[in-house]
Formats: sequence, C-alpha cells, structure tokens
Amino acid sequence: MASVALKFFVGLRQSSPENHRSSVTVISKSLPSNQLHYRRLNVIAGKSSPKITGRNLRVAVIGGGPAGGAAAETLAKGGIETILIERKMDNAKPCGGAIPLCMVGEFDLPLDIIDRRVTKMKMISPSNVAVDIGRTLKPHEYIGMVRREILDAYLRERAAGAGATIINGLFVKMDKPTDKFAPYVIHYNEYDGKAGSAGKKVMMEVDAIIGADGANSRVAKSIDAGDYEYAIAFQERIKIPDDKMQYYEDLAEMYVGDDVSPDFYGWVFPKCDHVAVGTGTVTHKPDIKKFQLATRLRARDKILGGKIIRVEAHPIPEHPRPRRLSNRVALVGDAAGYVTKCSGEGIYFAAKSGRMCAEAIVEGSENGTRMVEESDLRSYLKKWDKTYWPTYKVLDILQKVFYRSNPAREAFVEMCADEYVQKMTFDSYLYKTVVPGSPLEDLKLAVNTIGSLVRANALRKEMAKI
Amino acid sequence: MTSTMASFSSTTPHLPSFSSSPKTRFPINPFLSLTPQRHLLFASVRATENGSGAAIVVEEKKEFETKAAEEDSLGNGAPVAEVVVKFEDPKWVSGTWDLKQFQKDGATDWDAVIDAEVKRRKWLEDNPESSNNDFPVVFDTSIIPWWAWMKRFHLPEAELLNGRAAMVGFFMAYFVDSLTGVGLVDQMGNFFCKTLLFVAVAGVLLIRKNEDIDTLKKLIDETTFYDKQWQATWQDEKKE
Repeated sequence: MASVALKFFVGLRQSSPENHRSSVTVISKSLPSNQLHYRRLNVIAGKSSPKITGRNLRVAVIGGGPAGGAAAETLAKGGIETILIERKMDNAKPCGGAIPLCMVGEFDLPLDIIDRRVTKMKMISPSNVAVDIGRTLKPHEYIGMVRREILDAYLRERAAGAGATIINGLFVKMDKPTDKFAPYVIHYNEYDGKAGSAGKKVMMEVDAIIGADGANSRVAKSIDAGDYEYAIAFQERIKIPDDKMQYYEDLAEMYVGDDVSPDFYGWVFPKCDHVAVGTGTVTHKPDIKKFQLATRLRARDKILGGKIIRVEAHPIPEHPRPRRLSNRVALVGDAAGYVTKCSGEGIYFAAKSGRMCAEAIVEGSENGTRMVEESDLRSYLKKWDKTYWPTYKVLDILQKVFYRSNPAREAFVEMCADEYVQKMTFDSYLYKTVVPGSPLEDLKLAVNTIGSLVRANALRKEMAKI
Repeated sequence: MTSTMASFSSTTPHLPSFSSSPKTRFPINPFLSLTPQRHLLFASVRATENGSGAAIVVEEKKEFETKAAEEDSLGNGAPVAEVVVKFEDPKWVSGTWDLKQFQKDGATDWDAVIDAEVKRRKWLEDNPESSNNDFPVVFDTSIIPWWAWMKRFHLPEAELLNGRAAMVGFFMAYFVDSLTGVGLVDQMGNFFCKTLLFVAVAGVLLIRKNEDIDTLKKLIDETTFYDKQWQATWQDEKKE
C-alpha cells in the first residue's frame, strides 16, 4: 500500500508541466461520465485557480521535525519554492524514538541513522506476569530506535538538497490574506547564530503554509484550530552498567498497571548507549512523578546501578484538533494531533502526513504553476483519513478495552502470549496496515480475549471483597 | 514545560496548565545529589515554574534517596540496605502456583488456587514489586479450568439474574392479565408483550447495579467519541 503511494508520487514528479496539463484537458473532456475520479476532482479545482506568472508557488513549512522535513522535501522536489523555518537546529527532542520498519523503506532512511534494532519486547502486567513477544518476527523485521536530533537533521538536509531553503528562526504570527488569492504574510524572528539573541524580525509573503510545529503549534493557534487533550510523557535517560545494558541490547519493555499509569504504560526503551525509562498519563498529570517512581521501581532490578543523565517531558496529543485546515494553511504531524492511541506512536505519522500534505499541494498547484485552494489541501485530509482511519480506530478500541483497569491489563498481557496476536500486532505496527487475518483465528482470539477479561474481572471482584 | 525542558532559548513556552502543588517540597532536591552540573540549571528553571504539581509525599522522597544511595554506590553492597518486602508464599514456587500443594481429596482445589491468586494480586496492587528476570512470573489464569470459573462466578450471578427475571416476569404477566384479561399463553402471541419481555430480559442482564445505568450511558458515548473528534475538521467544510 505504501509503495503504491510512492509510485503515484514518483509519476507526478517525472511528468513535466506541459504533458501534465495536456493530459489534464483530455480528462476534463470526459466530464459527462458518471465515474467520480479522485484525480479529476483535483484538476477541476486547479483549473479554477489562477496561474502564477513569473514565479513558482511559495510555501512555508513551519517546524523542522520529521513532518516539516518530509513536507519540505516533497514540496521542493515538486518544483515549489519552499522555505522551512525551524527554531532549534540541534534540538534533541524528548521522544520514545521508535520508528516502524516501513518508514525506513518509504523514506529511504540510511541504516546508520538507526541506533538499535529492537526485535523483542517484554510486556509486564500489574502482577508482574512477563510475556515475551517477538517470536514471530522475521529476521529482517525490527523496530528502529533513532536519536531524534539525527533523524530530524537528516530529513532537513535532504530537503535542503532538494532545493528547500532552511531558515533558523521562530515563527511568531501570520497575517491572513485579504483577498481570495492574496498571499499570507508570515512574521518570524530569524536567528543569526549568536546564542541568546532575540533574532531579527522578518516578514515574508507565502501562498500556503504547512504547520509542522509540533504539539504546542503556533500555526494551529493562528488558525483557531482548537485544542486537544494531550498526555504528558515523562522520561528519564539512565545510563546503566554494561552487563545490564546487554539485556536491553535488542529488547524493549512495557510495564502496565495502575501504579505505573492509569491510562497509559511505562516503558524501558534502549537508546544508543543508555536506556530511557518513562511513563505517561492523560487523566492524572499531577501524579506523573509518582508514576515515574513506580516505573523505576518495577524495573529496579534491571536498571540497578544506573545514573540518571537526563530528565525530559513532552506532551503527546490524544486526538486530532477540531480543525486541521483553514483556507491555505494545513496542519501535519503532532500539530494536527496524529498520534495513535495505545502505543503513542507519532514519528511515522508525522513524516507521512507531511509528505501527503505536500503531495496534495504539488498536485493541486500543478507543480507550482497554479495557486492552490482550500479544496486541494482538503484532498490531503481526505486521503489521510481514508488511509489511516482504521489504524487509529483499532488502536483506540484496544486502548479503551485493555488500558481500562488492572484486570483488563492482566488480560492484555495474557493475550500477548498468543502467537496469532503477536503476528497481527507486529504486522500492523511494522507495515501500518490493518491486516484482516484468518476468520477462524480471529474467532478464537475473540473467545480467548473475552475469557481473559472475564477471568481477570472475576479475580478483581474477589479482590474487592478482601 | 516542554519548551523549558528542551531548550533554554528565549522562546515563549506554551505551558500546559498544571495546578500548583501546595507542598513546596520540590522533587528536584534528590536530583541535585545525583546529576551533573547541568541539572542544577534544570532544577532552578523548574523551581521557578509551578512545577509539575505532583502529589509529592514524604515516602516518595525517602524512597528516592535510598534509591539514590543504591544507584550511586553502583549496587556494591550499599550500607543503606532497603528492606524490600516481597510477596512470599510457600505455595508460590518459581513464579507460579504449585498445584501439588492445592490438593484436596485427591483433586486440585481450584477455589483455593483462585483465592491464592486473588491475595497475590491484592498484595501486589498495594505493594508493587520490581519485575526480575531471575524470578519470572509465569502464572497463567487459563490453567484453572473453565468449569471452576463457572461454578464460582457465573452460577451465583446467573441464579440472581434468573431470579430477578422470574419475579419481574411473573408480576408483569399477572399485571397485564388483570388489566387486559389476556392470559399468559395469549400474551406470548402478542407483539407488544413480546417487546416488553425483551426489554425485561435486556434490563435484567444489563442493569445489575444502580451504577450500571450511568455506566451504560458513558459506554455509548465512548464508542462514538473518537469518531467525532476525527470528523470535527469536516464539520467546517459542510458549513462553508
């Protein structure tokens, strides 16, 4: 599925504007046909917007993380004048740092970006029942652990190589256009490299803006995108002795339980030469320190002798903002709220949404020759929702069912021992498709799930009697 | 909190609204003993904010300090040997219940196994333990056969619900008969009566405690909430 999307984009890039326009007119002649073709819809919108003379379409990408980098690269390759504004070029973002296998292929990531390949995971229930998952992985499959500063910088450099202009600056505000096709004016502070300087105030006219500036997005604020609920993820980076590090060579752990988090999980993820121990919560944010201590307690024997080298926290959106688009401004990545429930995964979806939005702009503007309209950007939202809605919904259901209470978590860990579950989970995580699987196995799985839940809840009722 | 944690640049951070904790005992003090110079800066930056408003309790600090001592000494026979109370039970052997110790009259006493597991989980909920690779927990509740679960949990509840259904059924049948003169057999042929029967059965099954009415309403909201959040952006398009 992903490779099909890639081929589609490649096709767009290779066709020159001339050929593209002639094929456009051919398609438009067959208007009376009853088939509603996705591509044809875009073309009609493009035809009504004016051609730009003397210059290419200008698009500003605010934020230089995975979403911004991917968007800028796609825009630049599509022949659009792109500027990317990032406020901190060497930002070592607090992050789990896990990327699925498909991201390496889809974004042509060099293998040296990946610090570690995680091929085993351990799920630990509230009563410390530990289940190993990963037996079903094939030798070439893994979860990649990256350092965000390395990944983000790589994507930005590639965007620069494709022709985007990277600016070190802080986006302040935007002036909405006064006219239908008038440009936006963005105000930003350009940093000149001197530490501590406030930067030079710069104004720039652009035709469209992609807001890729993360969970506390200013672009989102400017377009009144609305708020979302967010989780607070708190993480401590701990350097542990080498023999203990050996255990985490290619293994990540997930701890579930009310002590660790009432609605999320605690984790130990291996990084380049240390481990990240953390937890998160949506509903009980003031207690995050308590949860972190509980996580460290649960992992205590395995991280004994470790030294905390860094403490960090970051917000994780729980659901998309009410408004992800306004006129010619679109949000992507964390700014839009594209983080999955249950696993809290965001890097891949950020990069993919950046790319998808940029593709929609490139197509709607016919490689930068025409002005874009809101409908062109809406086609990105449509494609995104259609492609990834099942993934998000399934993870939401999983979170609602299995992160509800301790019995549910016990059942969750019990289910993870099942090989079919492991295969389904990893397939859908690594390749980002909701795989249907065999109906008989699904039925068995459903029966087993209900059985686990019933048993765990029955035990809990007994516990309440004590 | 994010921006200040991640960078010291003069950006205006978007602080999530944490409630300020009345206890001003900042957790940063333990950090100072552990972390290098850089974190003093972290600590002072955080001290100027409202902090994370964590419910900081004395035990937390004490536990952290003992852990700090442990970590500092790299686990080399630290003098501060924290007495860790672990779950121990003679019947709990190598991370699972030893079924041989649960024999009663020649067969395994599953009720006792269930009781033991309940006690273990209750203990762990109140005193969470570290998970240890040398002593893994491998107990799986599915080793207890299905009929043991049925006998202990399902049957009493089924008896209760069937009793309720029978009482409601009898009095509804009597009531309808006294009002309309239609006997029980004729009631079964009537569509409205069949609907009433369905509602009565569903009600007895779904609403077992008073709180269940609210729970059901919340569940129905929950199933559609996420969908609504995703479709919010499309409401705009319809309005325009």
